[in-house]
Amino acid sequence: MLPWAPLALTTVTAVLVALPVTPALYELWKRSDASPLPTSRHDGRIANFADVLQTRLEPLRPQLERCCAERNVSRASLAGMEILLVGTDKFDFDLEQTQGVSTLMIGAEAQIPAGKVVDADVYADGPMVLGEKAALRAAYGCDDIILGENSTVLRWLHGDGNIYLRPRSAVYGRLSAGHAIHLERGCAFQHMHAPEILTVNSGDTRALATSAPHACEAQKDIKDIEENAGRALAGDQFTTSRPRLRVEGDFSLPPGETLDANVIATGELHIGRGARLLGSAKSYKDTVIDEGACVYGSIVCGGTVWLGPRTFAAGPVMAENDVLISRGARVGSLDAPTTISSTGANIAAGCRLHGTVWARVRGNIEA
Amino acid sequence: MLMDLFCLVLLLICIYTFRHYYFTFNRLFGKQRHPYVDLESAAWPEITVLIAAHNEEAVVADIMKALIEADYPKEKMTIIPVNDRSTDRTREIIDAFAEQHPLIEPFHRVGGKPGKAAALKDAMTLVKTEVVLIFDADYIPGKALLRQLVAPFFDPEIGAVMGRVVPLNVGKKSLTRLLDLERSGGYQVDQQARMNLHLVPQYGGTVAGVRKSALEEIGGWNENALAEDTDLTYRLLIAGWKTVYENRAECYEEVPERWPVRVRQITRWAKGHNQAMVSYIGRTAKCSGLGWFERIDGLLLLGVYLMGPVLLLGWVLAVVLFYTGAQIGGGLTVLALGAFTTLGNFAAFFEIAAAARLDGSRQRIRLLPLTLFGFTVSLISVSHAAWQQVRENTYGNLFGNHELVWDKTERSRTAPVLDDALSPTVPVLRESV
Repeated sequence: MLPWAPLALTTVTAVLVALPVTPALYELWKRSDASPLPTSRHDGRIANFADVLQTRLEPLRPQLERCCAERNVSRASLAGMEILLVGTDKFDFDLEQTQGVSTLMIGAEAQIPAGKVVDADVYADGPMVLGEKAALRAAYGCDDIILGENSTVLRWLHGDGNIYLRPRSAVYGRLSAGHAIHLERGCAFQHMHAPEILTVNSGDTRALATSAPHACEAQKDIKDIEENAGRALAGDQFTTSRPRLRVEGDFSLPPGETLDANVIATGELHIGRGARLLGSAKSYKDTVIDEGACVYGSIVCGGTVWLGPRTFAAGPVMAENDVLISRGARVGSLDAPTTISSTGANIAAGCRLHGTVWARVRGNIEA
Repeated sequence: MLMDLFCLVLLLICIYTFRHYYFTFNRLFGKQRHPYVDLESAAWPEITVLIAAHNEEAVVADIMKALIEADYPKEKMTIIPVNDRSTDRTREIIDAFAEQHPLIEPFHRVGGKPGKAAALKDAMTLVKTEVVLIFDADYIPGKALLRQLVAPFFDPEIGAVMGRVVPLNVGKKSLTRLLDLERSGGYQVDQQARMNLHLVPQYGGTVAGVRKSALEEIGGWNENALAEDTDLTYRLLIAGWKTVYENRAECYEEVPERWPVRVRQITRWAKGHNQAMVSYIGRTAKCSGLGWFERIDGLLLLGVYLMGPVLLLGWVLAVVLFYTGAQIGGGLTVLALGAFTTLGNFAAFFEIAAAARLDGSRQRIRLLPLTLFGFTVSLISVSHAAWQQVRENTYGNLFGNHELVWDKTERSRTAPVLDDALSPTVPVLRESV
């Protein structure tokens, strides 16, 4: 045997053993990825992007006021971003003027012409109108916002007042309003929030006036039941002790019946026409709430939820598949906004929703 | 006889290996379930937050500060620091906070049975709300965490909820870096996969919540349980309540920085888990309200800390059989390849790799080969714990009739990490942490 063979063998073995741990030892020494994993530290508000944009632009406000007084347009730099300050309502979003600009700060009314594509964020002190087939990256309006037919917002849109979506307009990402969102037929959305969300027929923005109570709220016997039990109409899920009714398989509450329980069905769940469930409903499969029925607790569903015509759901509606909402349905109330969460959502015209609607893939207003 | 035993060991190893691969593939390629994460607007219920504290002067200010700043309606929130017979400045710090913030209602426990479960049981007499959240004193919740933990309780079937634990002191020691990887694997892959597959996510006792009526229905906290969290998970499961895992409800914690502390921690977990296994394996197997997959997962979860001694037994048997000339064939290969993938809560290496990818962290994955050290220490610790329980062979010990102590993990933090933790201002996490 060669005298250096054991040494060579030992060396080769040592190298083979050391090789896999070399990156580990290097990382221990360099500590290039040794900080804690970032956890979510914001409060999860939908208008977070809008708030950040407004805060960021705040230092430019005196400059914008000067532009407004002189009715001109000027450029400014802020933290490496090019910002176009617009002090006139005659601005036509000309491509040459907006080239290289990350944000448009508009001190007057913003009129984005039909067919125009604006790939910058837009901030408007006044009302904002998006023309037909126009497209925006993101926008914050301090007043009302109107999206023309077939117009699109790609990232987020927030208005401190009302937002009107004309037929077939779409807002991808976040859509939020300080007062109300009005959506017409064929509109698309993903994540929206407002004290009041109304789906309306074209030109009929008065449908479902805010003062009109839902049939369920107006029903005296229900009010009496609730008052006798010393509860509020909504939001009593956690203050009232209700029996838990667990059903293996399908469950059906007959039409017109009232049940004061939390129902869990491992199959499908069906609340009959005009029936009332004072507690919450959970089903592993689909849930059907028939015409005129009311659920005062939450609706949790492993499949698809169908809310029939003129139904009322006081608590959250959470579906792992889709939520289909028929004309005249109402979810939540002004005093107690709630959440509809699903993979997809299809909402008919004539519905009134309060709070948040999340359609993780896509939400539509029935065409 | 030995051969039969060896085959049984191999079978168990294969089952647990398959389980871990299945979880990992589900997490990487399967449909992900986060059914409550979107709940933004709701009639949020009144809640009580219990902070379990025993000699926590170094850390208790941080969590109270963070909870006060949490994004949850203050009028619907009560914080009860459960100060269990502390002998340091814990009481003084808690009282100082309570003076400034009326929502803090301290519970200073001066007597009674020792242990976290006993302290929580006593504190429950002060709880008036249906939803109760529980934190250990060394945790630092983020602003949205409380709402994330409360959201699942809108589901009438949910009895308990568990959030994700994220180590804060990662960069301190090699051990903390390994534990960071292990925690990622355990939560990001194991717990979330069980959530995806409608199996049995585990209530972990901190960064967690429980429905009071469910707790009362099952008889309250079991003060004789060594691991009150596992005990609660199974009692709820058997009673028809579900536990859910919220992967995005993340909260910082402090992990052990010294190996002896880690050994004591995992020994305590193993003993508590084994105690729960003895108590609930039969009832879980026979529980009629559970689906088959849920039941099987429940049983496998109960057995995770038993896999340490089983694995050691397998290695001993393999050596013995080899030298006695028995034909063990491919069994040795199965043992060698499967061994590292069996230990339940310690996250197999491919789970860690998958978790690192899901977390978007790139460089820490280089430490993967070093997890072998953590695995070895865990293997020996849990085997030793099981051996102690068998050797003592006292049913009293297994079933918890012995004297319990508050056996908490030693803290490494010596001072608050949030800026001005003792004054009522917005906390900012110091960069040096």
